[in-house]
Amino acid sequence: MTTPVLELDGVTKRFGSMTAVNDVSLSVAEGELVCLLGPSGCGKSTTLRSVAGFETPDDGAVRIEGRDVTATPPNERPCTMVFQNWALFPNKTVQENVAFGLKMAGVSERERHERAAELLSLVEMSEQADARPEELSGGQKQRTALARSLAPDPDLLLLDEPLSNLDRKLREAMQLEIKEIQATLGTTMVYVTHDQDEAFTLADRIGVMNDGRLVQTGPPSDVYTDPDDRFVESFLGTTNFVECTVAPAETPQRKPSADGGLADDRVPLETPLGSSLAAPASDDLEPGDRVTASLRPERLSVSVDTDADANTADDPGAFAARATVENVLHRGSTVRYELTVGDATLFTERRMADRLDVEPGDAVMVRCGSRDVSYFGPAGARV
Amino acid sequence: MAESGADAGAEDAAPAPAIGTASTRPLAARLAELSGTIVFRIAYLAVFAFLLAPFVVVAGTSLDASGAVVFPPSGVSLRWYDTLLSSPDWIRAARNSLIVAGGTTMVSTTLGVGAALGLRNVDSWPATVVTGIALVPLLVPGVVLGVALLVFFSQLGLQQQIPTIVAAHSLWATPLTFSVMRATFARYDWRLRDAALNLGASRPRAFLEVVVPNVRAGLLAAACIAFVVSLQEFVMSLFLSGRETRTIPVMAWNSLRNSLDPLVSVTSTLLVVAVLLVVLAVGVTAGLERIARDT
Repeated sequence: MTTPVLELDGVTKRFGSMTAVNDVSLSVAEGELVCLLGPSGCGKSTTLRSVAGFETPDDGAVRIEGRDVTATPPNERPCTMVFQNWALFPNKTVQENVAFGLKMAGVSERERHERAAELLSLVEMSEQADARPEELSGGQKQRTALARSLAPDPDLLLLDEPLSNLDRKLREAMQLEIKEIQATLGTTMVYVTHDQDEAFTLADRIGVMNDGRLVQTGPPSDVYTDPDDRFVESFLGTTNFVECTVAPAETPQRKPSADGGLADDRVPLETPLGSSLAAPASDDLEPGDRVTASLRPERLSVSVDTDADANTADDPGAFAARATVENVLHRGSTVRYELTVGDATLFTERRMADRLDVEPGDAVMVRCGSRDVSYFGPAGARV
Repeated sequence: MAESGADAGAEDAAPAPAIGTASTRPLAARLAELSGTIVFRIAYLAVFAFLLAPFVVVAGTSLDASGAVVFPPSGVSLRWYDTLLSSPDWIRAARNSLIVAGGTTMVSTTLGVGAALGLRNVDSWPATVVTGIALVPLLVPGVVLGVALLVFFSQLGLQQQIPTIVAAHSLWATPLTFSVMRATFARYDWRLRDAALNLGASRPRAFLEVVVPNVRAGLLAAACIAFVVSLQEFVMSLFLSGRETRTIPVMAWNSLRNSLDPLVSVTSTLLVVAVLLVVLAVGVTAGLERIARDT
């Protein structure tokens, strides 16, 4: 197996009594684009700064191309960084900004001029080569910063929320451009963002961070559909969390499933929904434990029939309950339905074209397949 | 200076909605406000006049045609300027002053920049103590410092030397350059330095390439303050200078003791004009840079 371009091994960084980065281990293969995703203050930027050398970890090691750089000063590391505010040198022109890394490496003036021109054309900034950063728009600054970081041909490119200062439309366009450039040059990238759409658009792999910890790493679709942790489920997309309690002791019932085999062992839960849910059996769950059920709005089906038993016989863990439409909100391309189910409120969304013909006050049925509900134990771990 | 200009702009913008409602308020209230403004402005101008009056008197007496120091001048003439510029003693004093001021500027700016860099982002009690100690010379009377330095340098056999005067002036100028540079570095975006390091620049290289050019206004201000402090310092120079190393203020004092003639007014006027020119030059450079950066 080839050496990963970047390897973080138990990296920990404390500021006073606060642990900003807590035992983060991550390995990034050549040509891969990994997004570190998390809310602000989760330690993702500090992790990135540890890779760049601006922070020295209190514990653990940083290796780039197999070389331990934990104690190497930033200017001797083979990685470059695109900063959140782009940090373009205001006293230099666009062209000089882009050529700066090469100048520091001692590349001849003619050669670095050529290389800068090449990169400026890659990011479509050739015409602004002689402009000063203050004359550029946000998008142009972003392109210049990207070209500047790519110019020295780094082994690893770090991006610290490079698009967060741009408006949404431009941000989406730049995401695609970055992805395109990454595909063209094959540069290995670690990209820090708090924006899940950005992470899903760009990443080959996502690392979700919370409270200094790397909670889960995996391809975007896996992280979304198969979260390890309650935090991941809540941070990615929107969901309905329902607080449940494990029902008093009873032997888990084994019910035959539709194909004649045995269904998963399940633990019945008491819910405020007026209908039961059942979590997968686990040794960690005791009667009385609080369990959170997550019902993704896009997995909830709503229908106007009121036959509670229809379609549930073949899916023993499935959820079905009577609900009342509380509110119908038109949100452009989608319609959101807020439903009162028992003592709780759930919401679901339909595309405009598939909207239901219901009004507030109507009675409907809410259903959800057993595999479409995720359960999280008292400590937040997936059950 | 430039900074306060920007602040004033922000304040102008803030009460804008209030102006819209002004016309709906009763006339009396508006008149009261207007007269308040006028009184304030007159008081302001009076303070300015009071501060500037001595200079007008000094400049006036320097132009006197007779040999007496009188105001208003009995007749306008530049003869005392001529006398001054043809006096080798005064020329030497001017040269000494410039050398001392130049030396002080270099020493105290270097020390001030170094200290400000060293204490940047340091938030512990030793840093607070060091900052306090650095400011102490400003609080010690010049006479005390002058005597102390005279005794100290005599022990080392360094009497009446230019470097001792530079050292004394730096003692006063460094706390000021230090404070200016601390404020300057606090406003500087250190991510620029990080970016330079990230692109392979060594620390000294990054400092010269992307820190210095972007804190030029602050550097110039610090240097300017050091220069002016040294140029006008009198008490310590009196103790530490000798016949050959007199600075202009010391020379002026000596000549005053012998006779009261307009020569003193001439030196004072030239000194004030020199300081004004330095401040103006720095103001224009720093101001232009700011304009260039802000647009």
